[in-house]
Amino acid sequence: MMEIRQVGVLGCGIMGSGIAQVVAQKGIPVVAWDVSDEALTRGRNAIGTFLDKEIARGKGTPEGKASTLAAIRWTRDLADLSGADLLIEAVIEDLGVKKDLFARMDAVARKGAILATNTSVLPVTEIAAATKRPEDVLGMHFFNPAQRMKLVELVSGELTAPETVAAAEAFARGMAKETVRVKDAPGFIVNYLFIPYINSALSFYDKGLATREDLDKAIRLGLGYPMGPLELCDLIGLDTHLHATEAIHGENGDPRFVPPTILRRMVRAGRLGKKSGQGFYDYRGKDGAGR
Amino acid sequence: MGTEAGIQVAVLGAGTMGAGIAIVASRAGCETVVLEKDKTRMSEGFDRIGKFYAQSVKKGKMTEGQARAALAKVRMTDVPADCAGAEFVIEAIYEDLELKKDLFAQMNGICRPDAIFASNTSTLSITALAAGSGRHDRTVGMHFCIPAPLMKLVEVTKGLQTSEETFRRTLAFGDRLGQVCVTTQDTPGFILNYFIVAFNNDCIRAYESGLASLEDIDKAVKFGLGYPMGPFELLDIIGLDTHAFVSKVLYEELKETRFSAPSLVKKMIGAGYLGRKTGRGFYTYGAKGMFGAA
Repeated sequence: MMEIRQVGVLGCGIMGSGIAQVVAQKGIPVVAWDVSDEALTRGRNAIGTFLDKEIARGKGTPEGKASTLAAIRWTRDLADLSGADLLIEAVIEDLGVKKDLFARMDAVARKGAILATNTSVLPVTEIAAATKRPEDVLGMHFFNPAQRMKLVELVSGELTAPETVAAAEAFARGMAKETVRVKDAPGFIVNYLFIPYINSALSFYDKGLATREDLDKAIRLGLGYPMGPLELCDLIGLDTHLHATEAIHGENGDPRFVPPTILRRMVRAGRLGKKSGQGFYDYRGKDGAGR
Repeated sequence: MGTEAGIQVAVLGAGTMGAGIAIVASRAGCETVVLEKDKTRMSEGFDRIGKFYAQSVKKGKMTEGQARAALAKVRMTDVPADCAGAEFVIEAIYEDLELKKDLFAQMNGICRPDAIFASNTSTLSITALAAGSGRHDRTVGMHFCIPAPLMKLVEVTKGLQTSEETFRRTLAFGDRLGQVCVTTQDTPGFILNYFIVAFNNDCIRAYESGLASLEDIDKAVKFGLGYPMGPFELLDIIGLDTHAFVSKVLYEELKETRFSAPSLVKKMIGAGYLGRKTGRGFYTYGAKGMFGAA
């Protein structure tokens, strides 16, 4: 099986920088690409901030931070990814943008390299079709934050070769990730099961069937979930959730993915959750706690 | 009036839920009468209560003295009149509307006028139960989780005719028991079953459609969502027959596809794959534990 000796990461936002950190921490050299110096700097700083927090918690060392950052090369030149064995794309969730980028990745990546997309809602098969090597393309869906969330969903496009999945799986497991294999269907496993549950919780709350505190408390204490649906939606961002559920509904027409009315209303009103200070709860207090 | 030691409670039914609720009540210092007409179930119920207290001592959760005192608060009986002094009567018998209404009607003639009747039902309408109880304003829903002694949550539900005072007293009672109460409307599944039944059915349908393997769906839910258990592990514990029963009730009320149990469930029940209790559900269970997928 192919050994992954160098990884390219495209997009240095939250997910991209997180993935770059995970790989670099395992001692594998990373070439991180983005379109601007500002984006690259933000990515580098995000990793630095994360590692500083770990050091403060006694979980990391300054030496570890230095060697992780040393393993990452930052570039605006896509050609610098030509030596990568695995390229992981984590740019904006826009099909057109991803397809363009994959066509360019196809042109610079070495023969036999694996081209992976971190998309959460877009069709892997169509992204693969933007290249001349769809058999080398798959989805590698990480979760936020990549440094802490162990799961990686390995998504086979229609033409993805078994060897590609096997190599990506071995690589992810080498990063101490838990891997699952899933068909190229909207939402893969996690979002496909999670989003209808959140939508039904939003409608439930909209109907006044419980207070927000009682609903979240019941789910946490009664089902053992880490967070209740409303506080979780606030954390994810109502606009992010709306975008995801609309994207999946657009693909499969499944009524469980129709955005609940309350969701549209709140997003229209600018109530996006924690990031905007107000969602189902109010975060504008001194300590930022939900009220 | 309650004794110095605590409130007087009657639990109707000594099955899994009844015994669990009796533990919660006695542990909180309540004089607890457990009414059970079936002698076998009565002794099994008492055994279960005793074993729980013994385990609690072993695990260092209670001292020997505390466990003995709590167990001493439990009285098993098949004489309904022994419940006459109870301030709270918690019904935990078979999930059948007519049976529950008849039992409440019977107890109505025995119990104090100010006693509150609480039903542990998970699927039936509190309003309907109250209508048959003889004291519609003093009937309320108190839905405990499984296992009651370990799960703090109680769903408290008002029927259409439940009085504010009954509701207020019930919340205070739940508090005295050391439980955490949430208020639900009298709607099918209240909160917990409404969400978990639909979610579990969604997961079964995803598996049926070939989206991913059983193990991968369980893994994805645990590591991607942080839930304590994957859906198929959980269903094997709940029992496929129990899941099918609750699904059926909710679907009949709500007529939403998410609540309808997929055909795989019926097939599994037909084959006797009910879960852990029959040694096989989605997974197979041997003496060495769980292995393989169905």
